[in-house]
Amino acid sequence: MIPLAVSLDALSTADFWIGVGVLAGTYAIFTLGLQLNVGFTGIINFGQAGFMAIGAYAMGILVVEAGWSMWLALPAAIAIAMLAGVLIGLPSLRLRADYFAIATIALAEIIRYTAQNARGLTGGNQGLLGFDDQWLDVSDTILGWLPEAWQGQFLLPLLIVVWLTALVLTGLLIALQRSPWGRVLRAIREDQDAARALGKNVFAYKLQSIALAAALGAIAGWFLALNLSFLHPTSFEPQFTFIGFTILVLGGLGSYVGVMVASLLLWALLEATRFIDLPLAAEKVAALRFVIVGVALILLVAFRPQGLLGKRQEMVLHD
Amino acid sequence: MSGTADPALRPGRTARRGWAAGRLAAAARGPLGVTLGIVVAVGLALTVAYGLHDVAQRGVNGLVTGTYFALGAVGLTLVYGTLKLVNFAHGDLLTFGAYIAFLVNVTWGLPVVAAALLAVVATALLGVLSERAMWRPMRARGAGLLQLMLMTLGLAFVIRYGIQLAWGTQPRRLDVDVTASVSVLGLRIGRTELIVVLVGMATLVAVSAMLRATSLGRQMRALADSMALAEVTGIDSDRVVVATWLFAAGLAGLAGVLYTAAIGSMTPNLGFFLLLSLFSAVILGGIGNAYGALAGGLLLGIAQEWSTLVIDPRWKVAVGFAILVIVLIMRPQGLFGRKERIA
Amino acid sequence: MTDGAILAVRDVVKRFGGVAAVDGASFDVRRGSITALIGPNGAGKTTLFNVVTGFAHADGGDVVYEGRSIRGRPAHAIARRGLVRTFQITKALAAMPVLDNMTVAAPRQPGEHLPLLVARPLAARRREREVRARARELLARFGLEGKADEYAGTLSGGQRKLLELARALMAEPRLVLLDEPMAGVNLTLGATLLAHVHALRDEQGTTFLLIEHDMEVVMGHSDRVVCMAQGRVIADGAPEAVRTDPRVIDAYLGAVAG
Repeated sequence: MIPLAVSLDALSTADFWIGVGVLAGTYAIFTLGLQLNVGFTGIINFGQAGFMAIGAYAMGILVVEAGWSMWLALPAAIAIAMLAGVLIGLPSLRLRADYFAIATIALAEIIRYTAQNARGLTGGNQGLLGFDDQWLDVSDTILGWLPEAWQGQFLLPLLIVVWLTALVLTGLLIALQRSPWGRVLRAIREDQDAARALGKNVFAYKLQSIALAAALGAIAGWFLALNLSFLHPTSFEPQFTFIGFTILVLGGLGSYVGVMVASLLLWALLEATRFIDLPLAAEKVAALRFVIVGVALILLVAFRPQGLLGKRQEMVLHD
Repeated sequence: MSGTADPALRPGRTARRGWAAGRLAAAARGPLGVTLGIVVAVGLALTVAYGLHDVAQRGVNGLVTGTYFALGAVGLTLVYGTLKLVNFAHGDLLTFGAYIAFLVNVTWGLPVVAAALLAVVATALLGVLSERAMWRPMRARGAGLLQLMLMTLGLAFVIRYGIQLAWGTQPRRLDVDVTASVSVLGLRIGRTELIVVLVGMATLVAVSAMLRATSLGRQMRALADSMALAEVTGIDSDRVVVATWLFAAGLAGLAGVLYTAAIGSMTPNLGFFLLLSLFSAVILGGIGNAYGALAGGLLLGIAQEWSTLVIDPRWKVAVGFAILVIVLIMRPQGLFGRKERIA
Repeated sequence: MTDGAILAVRDVVKRFGGVAAVDGASFDVRRGSITALIGPNGAGKTTLFNVVTGFAHADGGDVVYEGRSIRGRPAHAIARRGLVRTFQITKALAAMPVLDNMTVAAPRQPGEHLPLLVARPLAARRREREVRARARELLARFGLEGKADEYAGTLSGGQRKLLELARALMAEPRLVLLDEPMAGVNLTLGATLLAHVHALRDEQGTTFLLIEHDMEVVMGHSDRVVCMAQGRVIADGAPEAVRTDPRVIDAYLGAVAG
């Protein structure tokens, strides 16, 4: 047995929890998009990291290179991501689910590849900086409204904004789900031929679903950018989409609230591994975290596909 | 045909020639014939624009790339065809093969050939292990498409990051000579690369022959065509499934070793990096069709290298992804697949 | 096209690989009639249904509905024009409540379209109330009102058949294509279903085209019978005439023997 020394002090600092909270909130928004696609429409989107990259880089590029205000750049970034979603959806949504999954990964990789190689535009592997000045001003203002004791916590405003956004988005999505529009989506997930036979343009609804998920991915990308202050293609590799799927399955298909709970749990778990003093180099601890994610995903899917808050009869992952 | 005792009954020379011509014509219409046709046609067009030497040199590079693409793609498509499983962990089987070779060759100091063989065996066993431990029980439980895909993703994580845990992220090298090169017909090719092509091609030919001529091969193809139908005809699907995994994973392991030998180094990412290209090759060739995957892999490798005549070499990998998207838009069943269940 | 024909099938051909499942089929369905489509297994009846309803693309011929060609139109567009179908194996939306199964089928719901949902929420809400009321009415008519809030997956086979028909009616159809409505259904339920079909035809002039194997049902309840064999229409007329048509008898006997 490896002696595990856990630096409990580190775990109890507010720093740590706020950091976890920001990541959890970001990936909660990210996974809300996956829930809409997989849990409520029945389409398998493996390219969400690509939409996140579009959101982050579009905003970064527009601010740094074109001199736009961040407040304008964000909606533009969302629009570009939605366009990308529609573009990849048009040829591939009429194909089988697994083909669509492959097409979405291909899109995400093309985007990441472009970010890596279009050095003039995106800074390539050197990264992109300097887009968050406006945010830092806002952040300072918010910090000023908070009590004295919290003044040292620079990430706190971001935490508040991220989670407020996450909650608002979740509320909107739940409301949408209860609407007739949401009902059509669920019918499509249940049985697309039945939906077509009832006069529903299944293809159009799937396109809307992917466009909305892309928007959510872009918003998550924006928050990731503000968190890191620095954009690098490695932040948008496919494994982040699959972390999203782990959150999705953990929370349970069909539960937006589950997404938020699961995101907090998973990121708390992942970040907590930083503090276990294993006799391993840092990069190996990182590897260990991902091995844990992989094992968790396998076990969850095999033995508890409904996750934490999914309902067994509704949420078992069938097609 | 030949082998009939009575000389009067043996087909005359003209008849035999006719039969041979018929077989040649049939082969020409098959995947390899079409592939050759495309390569020659495009090659000629490029030669006119860029000159024979450049085109031929890059064609040779493309052949090297195409070899390990084809080896990886055949396994991926066989598993898909037989089990309808989109195995996102397939790329990591290549990584696994490469690192086992590293273990045997560099850490244990055995010759590269032994390392390659052991890598193939180890990867094949890993494939069968995954079948027994994961895919068979899930199939028995009626698991759906998404469930299985997510499990392959989880497995991909475990293999890839398990390797990273053991060996770290710095690039590793096999004990092969990557500097020596030979000149064939005025074209340069690395000595190791040449071996890669020869070994790879020989394996592909052997695999083709196996699939076509042996009863196991025919059963594998029948199963890939339709498992229900195949079982009705009395094929022991369980045995064939295991055989399919042995082949698919073994080929993947070999592809990983050859890739590392050709490129010169390995990192834990290599498999996932290649996976998209393998999917492109599979879809280009027509999913479920082993010959298609072979052809798709070669075509993709050559296309990638020839694209460098026109675009900046940094983007050549994106060519694979672009081909994938184009195929999906224009002809989702690929070059040699059947239209039946694409949508 | 003959007057009074709500649907005209003209030389429709549909091939799968080398085999023509439908090989030049032609017939009319008169408005307000109950028409039965019969024939031995493999005659191409379900394939024809799929072509008519847009679930399969014809390789030749034409399908004319209410005077306009619908060949090649997507399935959802055809359904929206009032040509609605049920499936041989019922497609209940199992993980949704029965009421939702019904309400999703209603046409003209502004709430189903994002821009309208956002721009005209009151109109959407009003229509939703109407739709729910109508759904409950229909469910009551079919004896399923007690199950409105249960998941459709909990319904018995017979109840699903009723739901399938009730749901089709929510779509306000003018022509209903029923694919083997009596399959796997007991006598009482079968009588109920048929009673509903007649009532709808009599009250609202809804036309029905059914694929059916049960000869008693066909003889006792249809105005007109079309018989297919090997992808073609071999007889078309009054039930008694078709039943005694030697070609029809041959086709069935041939199917049994061969």
